[in-house]
Amino acid sequence: MEQKKIPVILDGDPGHDDAIAWVLAKASPMLDILAVTSVCGNQTIQKTTYNAQRICALIGLETQVAMGRALPLVGDPIIAPTVHGESGLDGPALPEPAFPPHSKSAIEVMAEILERHPEPVTLVPTGPLTNVAALLLAHPELKSKIARISLMGGGVQFGNWTPAAEFNILVDPEAADVVFSSGIPIIMAGLDVTEKALIFPEDFQRIRAVGNKVSQVVADWLEFFYGFHRKMGYPGAPVHDAVAVAALVRPEILTMQEMYVAVETQGEYCRGATIGDFRGIAGKAPNAKVILDIDRQAFADLLVEAAAYYQEKEA
Amino acid sequence: MKKIPVWIDCDTGVDDAAALLCAHKLPQAELVGISAVAGNVELEKTYANCHRLTALMGADYPIYKGADKPWFRPLTIATYIHGEDGLGGAELPLPPLQNRPEPAWDALYAAARKYEGELELVAVGPLTNIANAVVKYPDLPQYLKRIVIMGGAAIGGNCTPCAEFNIYVDPHAAQCVFKSGIPVVMCGLDVTMKAYFTDGEIDAAAAAGGDVRRFFRESTRRAMQFCTGLGLPGVSFHDVCALFYVFFPDMFSGDEGGVYVETQSSLTLGKTVTDIYSDHQFEHHNAYVVLDLDRERFVKTITELLAEY
Repeated sequence: MEQKKIPVILDGDPGHDDAIAWVLAKASPMLDILAVTSVCGNQTIQKTTYNAQRICALIGLETQVAMGRALPLVGDPIIAPTVHGESGLDGPALPEPAFPPHSKSAIEVMAEILERHPEPVTLVPTGPLTNVAALLLAHPELKSKIARISLMGGGVQFGNWTPAAEFNILVDPEAADVVFSSGIPIIMAGLDVTEKALIFPEDFQRIRAVGNKVSQVVADWLEFFYGFHRKMGYPGAPVHDAVAVAALVRPEILTMQEMYVAVETQGEYCRGATIGDFRGIAGKAPNAKVILDIDRQAFADLLVEAAAYYQEKEA
Repeated sequence: MKKIPVWIDCDTGVDDAAALLCAHKLPQAELVGISAVAGNVELEKTYANCHRLTALMGADYPIYKGADKPWFRPLTIATYIHGEDGLGGAELPLPPLQNRPEPAWDALYAAARKYEGELELVAVGPLTNIANAVVKYPDLPQYLKRIVIMGGAAIGGNCTPCAEFNIYVDPHAAQCVFKSGIPVVMCGLDVTMKAYFTDGEIDAAAAAGGDVRRFFRESTRRAMQFCTGLGLPGVSFHDVCALFYVFFPDMFSGDEGGVYVETQSSLTLGKTVTDIYSDHQFEHHNAYVVLDLDRERFVKTITELLAEY
């Protein structure tokens, strides 16, 4: 009997690690991808949307792709060309989009899916939380239709884009605050785990050696993405966003702690920080399962396995 | 042996008391002065407790009174761990108070000048007194070797999820100190939570009896109950870390980085924001963040110093 699939919406700002997260999601028999939505983050909304379309074309993901908001809820956009290049997904050549983006906005498309899907849907945001927050603000009645949010963002121990804040949350702290205050179950893949989710150069070779079109591109993406991180002294590429997908398809390789997490929207140094109450001091009920550790080898193996899925498709 | 001149600014306090008792018996230490600040309990109590401790150890170090409240915020105290008296209810007799007229920051500055840059400042309470010295004496940085504080945390907090008590009590003063240009060694919760004694280790250190060891046992009972109630393995002697860092730096390890204090938001008020784990770095590395210690050696050293009494 076929396993019941988890219905998901992939919301991201691709971005190399978003792209690899989606490669992993498409390859998993456990997920039913209902839509892909783009958000501004690593690059402008035009670029991340175009990248989302090209990724779908590459991996044969025939689902609706809808464009998200061009700006964070309140603040100004921040982009990350030093990490992802001018296109937001620099490196290997990609196929042109197979179909145009949806005529409706990401928020409308998400809302329609939640309204009509027979069971609650899991959201997988791997960029700033602008779209998810906009959805919750515009459609509070749909909260119960969201099963959980498995997100990449934040870090209860440290930041990366500022000393206190991780990029995705820093880009739109107000949106993150809406999401973390929503009461919807959250799985948080923050820097606590994602900086341990390192794919080493020898893993790139294993992925390339799988020998199909997708595996070649993934290896090229990893090499590009590692360029930035090698200069920062990392021994591998932290494939942050893929951890949010791994949390759904291979949770047994992760270590999580339930805790209360609050988002700082103000402050001189702390805007965009995710404050995790891991000692239980605040006296508040936990609102998130925070991932703290990962079996790195199993994670690398999972990506190799995902690359092999595309081999079978071509055969 | 060339002694190291050291000044201790404290809000005595159970673990402050242990630091003072250790400092008195460290053969390498020349304890130049003690100043009291409001923190664990009110200033009148921390000031009196400094006298109780010097009387207990049979010494007559000069004791100065400092600030009775933080720069801008109302005073937060921690009687839940230190008791109403600040010493866990371990009734020590109160000797006559010294009643020195000059405030802590003036006395500290005079001592710093006297020792011409050699003075080590160990600050283990809220940093109000030190910040007053910084703002009053612009040339203080050239006369202080460095400031070793107990305060803050690279990760987490104990007063709020992201703020440690000493910094939370007076975040503005702390920020002033971190920005002062004086090198700061930060012994925060990252290391001090590892600097604990189990109940059995306190018993062992106190076994030989005598007033000082009996005080060490009695003053820590309340804190032990509180800490083990939280599921912790024992009572941390946070403040002793800062003192020991001066004399046994190889007992510790850490990392250089930038540290600044959040003062502009209520959620993260008093968080010591550091770049030691972050891709993005502050422009200046103004601090050394102590992260780990050899706990066995820490326990052994305190136990041996107490045995000197």
